[in-house]
Amino acid sequence: MAATDKIGAVMVVGGGISGLQSALDLADSGFKVYLVEKQPSIGGAMAQLDKTFPTNDCAMCIMAPKLVATGRHHNIDLITNADIVKVDGQEGNFTVTGKQRALRVDASKCTGCGSCAQKCPIETTDEYNENTKVRKAIFVKYPQAVPLIYSIDPEKCIGCGICAEECKADAVEYDQKEKDFEIKVGSIIVSPGFDEFDARLKAEYGYGVYQNVVSSIEFERILSATGPHFGTVMRPSDGDIPEKIAFIQCVGSRDEKVGNEYCSGVCCMYSIKEAIIAKEHGGNIKPKIFFMDMRAFGKEFEEYYNRAKDEYGIEFVRSRVASVFEDPKTKNLILKYVEKGEPKEEEFGLVVLAVGLRPPEDAEALSKVMNFSLNDDGFCETGAFTPVSTSRPGVFVSGAFSSPKDIPMTVAEASGAAAKAASEIASARDTLVTKKEYPAEIDVSEQEPRIGVFVCHCGINIGGVVKVPSVAEYARSLPNVVYAEENLYTCSQDTQEKIKQMVKEHNLNRVVVASCTPRTHEPLFQNTIKEAGLNAYLFEMANIRDQCSWIHMHEPAAATKKAKDLVRMAVAKSRLLESLENLTINVNQQALVVGGGASGMVAALELAKQGVKVHLVEKEKELGGTLLKLHYLPSGDDPVEYVQSLAKEVASDPNITVYTGKKVKSIDGYVGNFKTTLESGEEMEHGTVIVAVGAQEYKPDGEYLYGKNPGVMTLLEFKDKLKKGEVKGDSYAFIQCVGSREEGHPNCSRVCCTGTMTAAIKVKEKDPDAKVFVLYRDIRTYGFREKYYKEAAEKGVTFIRFEDGTKPQVEDKGGKIEVRVTDEDTGKEVVLTPDNLVLAAGTRPSDGSEELAPMLKVPITKEGFFLEAHMKLRPVDFATEGVYVAGLAHGPKFLDECIGQGLATVSRAMTVLSKTTLEAEGIVAFLDETLCDGCGICVPTCEYKALEIVPDKKDEKKKTLDINVGLCKGCGACVGACPSGALTQMGFSDEQIVAMIDAALEDAAENQEVKQ
Amino acid sequence: MSSTTPSAQSEEKAEGEDFEPKIIVFCCNWCSYAGADLAGVSRMQMPPHFRVIRVMCSARVDPEFVLRAIQKGADGVLVAGCHPADCHYIGGNYRTRRRIALLRILLQQFGYDPDRLRLEWISAGEGEKFQKTMVEFTKTIEEIGPSPMRGGD
Amino acid sequence: MTEKHHTAHHGKKKAEADKEWEPKIVGFLCNWCSYAGADLCGVSRFQYPTNIRLVRVMCSTRVSPHIVLEVFEAGADGILIGGCHLNDCHYMTGNYHTEKRVNLMKRLLREAGVDEGRLRLEWVSASEGEKFSKVVTEFTEEIQKLGPSKIHTDDMMKAKVAAADDASETFRLKALVGKEFNLLSKGNAYGDKLDPEKLSGIIDVATEEEFERALILELARIRPISVKQLGMVMEVPTDRILRHIVLLRQNSMIAMEHPEGFTPLYKTIEIGGEQ
Repeated sequence: MAATDKIGAVMVVGGGISGLQSALDLADSGFKVYLVEKQPSIGGAMAQLDKTFPTNDCAMCIMAPKLVATGRHHNIDLITNADIVKVDGQEGNFTVTGKQRALRVDASKCTGCGSCAQKCPIETTDEYNENTKVRKAIFVKYPQAVPLIYSIDPEKCIGCGICAEECKADAVEYDQKEKDFEIKVGSIIVSPGFDEFDARLKAEYGYGVYQNVVSSIEFERILSATGPHFGTVMRPSDGDIPEKIAFIQCVGSRDEKVGNEYCSGVCCMYSIKEAIIAKEHGGNIKPKIFFMDMRAFGKEFEEYYNRAKDEYGIEFVRSRVASVFEDPKTKNLILKYVEKGEPKEEEFGLVVLAVGLRPPEDAEALSKVMNFSLNDDGFCETGAFTPVSTSRPGVFVSGAFSSPKDIPMTVAEASGAAAKAASEIASARDTLVTKKEYPAEIDVSEQEPRIGVFVCHCGINIGGVVKVPSVAEYARSLPNVVYAEENLYTCSQDTQEKIKQMVKEHNLNRVVVASCTPRTHEPLFQNTIKEAGLNAYLFEMANIRDQCSWIHMHEPAAATKKAKDLVRMAVAKSRLLESLENLTINVNQQALVVGGGASGMVAALELAKQGVKVHLVEKEKELGGTLLKLHYLPSGDDPVEYVQSLAKEVASDPNITVYTGKKVKSIDGYVGNFKTTLESGEEMEHGTVIVAVGAQEYKPDGEYLYGKNPGVMTLLEFKDKLKKGEVKGDSYAFIQCVGSREEGHPNCSRVCCTGTMTAAIKVKEKDPDAKVFVLYRDIRTYGFREKYYKEAAEKGVTFIRFEDGTKPQVEDKGGKIEVRVTDEDTGKEVVLTPDNLVLAAGTRPSDGSEELAPMLKVPITKEGFFLEAHMKLRPVDFATEGVYVAGLAHGPKFLDECIGQGLATVSRAMTVLSKTTLEAEGIVAFLDETLCDGCGICVPTCEYKALEIVPDKKDEKKKTLDINVGLCKGCGACVGACPSGALTQMGFSDEQIVAMIDAALEDAAENQEVKQ
Repeated sequence: MSSTTPSAQSEEKAEGEDFEPKIIVFCCNWCSYAGADLAGVSRMQMPPHFRVIRVMCSARVDPEFVLRAIQKGADGVLVAGCHPADCHYIGGNYRTRRRIALLRILLQQFGYDPDRLRLEWISAGEGEKFQKTMVEFTKTIEEIGPSPMRGGD
Repeated sequence: MTEKHHTAHHGKKKAEADKEWEPKIVGFLCNWCSYAGADLCGVSRFQYPTNIRLVRVMCSTRVSPHIVLEVFEAGADGILIGGCHLNDCHYMTGNYHTEKRVNLMKRLLREAGVDEGRLRLEWVSASEGEKFSKVVTEFTEEIQKLGPSKIHTDDMMKAKVAAADDASETFRLKALVGKEFNLLSKGNAYGDKLDPEKLSGIIDVATEEEFERALILELARIRPISVKQLGMVMEVPTDRILRHIVLLRQNSMIAMEHPEGFTPLYKTIEIGGEQ
């Protein structure tokens, strides 16, 4: 197909966190994006969560900025309430047909004020809150929803007409019809997420029968500050705070009886999280978690688990609960279970069922419409080396739809899928995106401030409490205000035109809008004044709705006074506003990849496919990394063959320059402009850096006779011998968690359990009579890997669990290995004499990490792995812009996950490398050099390493500060720290904030004069 | 338990106390300001005596701002930021905590009740916490009385 | 809402006077038909018991649930509403609305535990003087059979009638009942005529919910009270009470007092509501 046939647009189907990430990455790197969501608003499952593990971040706090960014991105078209009907064409050139169901509200008119829902007389249960709250028949999914457009629930609406009567914007359209759409795109990404397992199918737990048995997602809403009880933990039967809460794990997971053999991968962690939050909400609450294996396999998860036990006192019981009964009088629940062979009963006030993840309801329909395959469990089928590709070329997948996974893995995959989607149509980059053209900016620097104030009624939301006409009149009386008016809706399209007109008519050079919150509406108004020829930073907002009329509804006089104060404060700041230029940084469009393992090579190849020149530096003589030693993958694919084919591809790619046997000496610069020198002297300039330096297997010297008895070896060493046919004898013992989950190395190495299964299965395949024992603490074969655990057990592998803290004892008895271990289940000591003792040794960071980190000004964890910018939503980014991390360098993980991250770094890097210049934020720190004495107090306050003390160019003896505006994020932390007043924050200068303080206290000062 | 009813507020006023506290609230853009908005969206009622000034990060709150507000007659100053570890700017709010502790000492030395300055972590999801904080802080300030700058003691 | 619902003093006195009890009946008559009918009754010297006191209104639809419930609260044993026959209303469709409203009143009386027989709607035209005397006689006998209203002797019933009164004033019920006639006769916003039973079911549910919420607010006004206590007093399942509490908190009408133990208490916020 000719390059010109490629279409520079991508359709993303599913607007959860996965879809948002894909859409943002693509739209930021030159592609038009159509984001199709079946619900009326985007946000998906994450928007329902209270907090996220293992940092207990508030989910909405970290997600809302992405929601807003997606909603207002001019290259992302949101198509909500819509379904895909047909996909024609092939990779690079698809035609997608779909249907958008009627919202019955005109999206272009609805301002999201919510008056309609306040008055709607029809109540129904609120799905967003898992039916713990009430919503109306006209509704928005949640207060922060994007797009913030109400829609009518056709099932519930009786057509009484009240919403239409209430809506001052005239947005209700009862006769709105379903709309068909047909869109041409080059690639498609599917990310429809997952559904929760229906706990009714596990009848023995009484879900749906006993009121106080809830699902984990319901409990999430119960915990949430925005949930039914404002965060107080209450049980549904009577609102009592349950003293004892039981969490039952694996409901609908690892359960043949319900047809789901896989592990859902996230439930252990979310139950720990929910237990911790419950405990934080009410100190007297005693949570107890009933589990089979605690699967805390992710980055720093084990430490979270340990904190739950040690600091929060959460109890963990290793047992599968048999059944739950209700005491009909108290509605308490009695759990029956067996612990260490003994039947037990215990009473709880509330039971939370950790429901598993299953494919979304419409998975099959979607797979048929799009023509890709599902796997046996009904999830989207992917390959071991192609984790984000569906069986249909040009259609990619990310998130929980391909297998149950947590948020960071989802976000990484979302970026990874975006990279694949972009590579397909790289030649059509920048063909369909639009760049907004604005009129030339008026220079206002020499002008007296001429301020226009627009005061919004917001229907009756403001006007019903605050006397808007008197606020507008008051605004007119303020110095420098030359124009003020009131609007029914200041944000409506016609008012935008009016604002532009007034700017021209009255020569306004500052605009103040008194309405709702700048968090959602500032960009809209900034855009409007830009269209009128004013700099965007000459805009200021007074929040007289969310923070005034809505919270002082019964005190109209005081609220009106406050609204006037807020307008006066905004005008005071506005007077001092200056035009700010968004500084542009030139971008060197080449990339550096450090590390030539699978992650690094995947990244280099994908970048090259997108036309980027790549420098790939590998310290070993040969490309390939850890994979060369792995030999077996559980799926049966050959990792060595794979990695060698990658290496061949890399070597022959004209866009990639390979430096093997070379180490990095120094990296200087910042996003768009890095300069790297190798120890061997080569120099290169590039715009981004991808860190993929891998990791290594722990050498357990001195433990379990390692290095002393030739029959004792690590898992990788064993696999090597197995491959070469050098293994002797017919009895095998595997010891898990060697060098993991213990002091000094508290976290889990994630891959060893599955690696052990792979090896054990291989042994059994070669010799079905071989005696194979696995000594373990928890088997952590998460996701679909559970089937290898099952397979090993079916093949006759014996599993013996030992207690945490009582390691097996290994002795050399005349050259023979003797292993003694206490079986936790029976309490009896077992003696084994294996010919081969295999140590599942943990993963350790690569040797070079500690030297590389300071060169890049990026942090590492205390265990030595690279620490990403945000554990949940920025899994492959660093806080330092333009630097990314993939693969084992970030922490232990499987090959498919490494490939996903490798691809993700490409997508993230392309948001920089696809452009010739970058725009820095206008709100950055600014230095008055005459006042700076180079004390350096500000330097450590900067989390982005944008500050550096350098010699003063004018006076060699003196020192001064250098601000790298490319790195500055505009938080102002340094400004707050500066003792000499040399630093200022553009847009939030000291003068501006002081002016607001003074304006706020103007009448306090009057008061003061009167009293004195 | 302090009453969270708005009527408690108006009753107090009706009893003839004409002291209307002047409270300045600094909110960080990403969490606390969003929390304040959420309180609004949820229509949570609270006393109307505070004025919010938005800053990008609570670490931007220069000690000068607090002192300026007090000097200009503010009866109370509240600094609200993201919970530790939630900070949009990674670690900004840890610095805020230290700064506010120092400022409270300073206020005491100047003869002000240090409780006139308060630091509170409020996340974007904690509309109710914002409401509670404003109700309680207003009450505290009412109890302390007008600032010496406004003729109180 | 005033305090009078919570004082029981004159209730006791009333009980003592029960022996020589005579029913107190209030009649609301529309100006154009029923009032004229009553006049004709007088002109024709038709006799009826003396217990009724008549109030003239322009149209029967003027008699809101609030008025009826207030009159019951004030001590009436029975209330008669007289209007024009359907299709004869001086104001075109006023009496159709009356019918819907009386249905709501009856629903609310049932919720409050007041025998709905204490409220009667009759169509009496200007020419039906004899019918008027018959209606009043029958209704008085009926009330005599039912005995004195317990509103003043039964605190719970008093609270319930007050709650019914508050519920009748909610926007939700006013909106539904106000729109009921048009939705059934003229069609809704989609041009469909609603199934009367379905709509009636929706109003039944709304009435029950609004009544229960109003009663919770009544009870939690006196002192902080728990979900379980509310459930016991109101004889409503506690999970249902909790769901009401969730909504009332959402609308800033009730506040939770943080519990010492494991049972939160709730207190009504005096000025509240979303409107």
